[in-house]
Amino acid sequence: MPSLPAGHRLVAMGTVTSSNDEAKRLAFDGAPDGTVVWAEAQSAGRGRRGRDWVSPPGNLYLSLLLRPGCDPKTAPQLGFAAALAVAEALEPWVAGDVPITLKWPNDVLLDGAKVGGILLESAMGASKAAIEWLVVGIGINLVSHPDGASYGATSVAASREGPPLDAGQMLSAVVERFAAWRARWVGEGFAPVRGAWLDRAHRLGREIELRGPEGPISGRFAGIDDDGALVLDRADGQRLSLSLGEVAASGG
Amino acid sequence: MASNEIDEDLVRRLAALLEETGLSEIEYGTDAWRVRVVKQRAEVMVPVQNTGTATAEPGAAPSAGPDQAAEPGAITSPMVGTVYLAPEPGAPPFVKAGDHVDQGQTLLLIEAMKTFNEIRAPHAGEVAELLVQDKMPVEYGDVLLILR
Repeated sequence: MPSLPAGHRLVAMGTVTSSNDEAKRLAFDGAPDGTVVWAEAQSAGRGRRGRDWVSPPGNLYLSLLLRPGCDPKTAPQLGFAAALAVAEALEPWVAGDVPITLKWPNDVLLDGAKVGGILLESAMGASKAAIEWLVVGIGINLVSHPDGASYGATSVAASREGPPLDAGQMLSAVVERFAAWRARWVGEGFAPVRGAWLDRAHRLGREIELRGPEGPISGRFAGIDDDGALVLDRADGQRLSLSLGEVAASGG
Repeated sequence: MASNEIDEDLVRRLAALLEETGLSEIEYGTDAWRVRVVKQRAEVMVPVQNTGTATAEPGAAPSAGPDQAAEPGAITSPMVGTVYLAPEPGAPPFVKAGDHVDQGQTLLLIEAMKTFNEIRAPHAGEVAELLVQDKMPVEYGDVLLILR
């Protein structure tokens, strides 16, 4: 069994619909902060809004149940922390010349192709001020990745020589790195997370297109603001902070 | 038009034109002055800072005015985000007008930055009115629905 930092409890499962579903079920049953759901495979792995996350055995599927007591506006900041944790956990396993970058808000890219995805789910309880729980779902393509995805996908195995990675080992590393970033977030706020995220930001300073709720908006990717919103400099000089929408897949 | 005076009527007319045409912004003026009216499509819009430019932001037609927020049973948005009325695209909605809901039942989702927040019923009741549509952007404090 993989080792986990203090304050964590592992719930290892076989094939589930999705590790987030299991973690949410545990949340409703009152499971504590630090519960880690680890699934061997997912029969209905999910990405954003109806997108599948192809989930055969061998890759890593985990969901962290947190009760951070924060308001819903700040909860996405933990998604940036999770993306950083995945990038740092991957680093020792990837050749030094292969870049690990982060695409807003929390996709993890290996050599520009998606290797890890993060989906956060939370719920408002009776209190209007704080979320009751937050589930951070993380999928990492360790040994295989889907072909023909609408975005470029890759796996750790595709980028390195040597024996396939052990999912348990990666799980320990991700949970450990996330716990460290979360502790910094609690102590120092979003600033250090934001800074470290920007150091790995994909296409920072370059043209990107955001597909927002009211259509695409393009501009130069200037950074992220104090809430994690994407900051775009438009050709006409306007600077926009945008928290809705998705960055279009693009080369380089 | 005097440089420091706001021609409210002009701004209003431009705002109406914005709604009518579906454009996201209109800039209008002469060499001496310019006014730009921008339909807010995201959390924050920072206008260009040109001297002599009056900028008005009427915002996208709000789903509900402040009056409704004070209404008993008004469920307001705790965050800026995109509303989803169903758990997945194509799935039946969580609730519709006229439904009876239990305390803690999920009413809708609001997403920002790939974080999907379930808004659940703070008390049992009937969904008297649903004031948002699927995929609609909402601001903090916007009334989502009335639960009586």
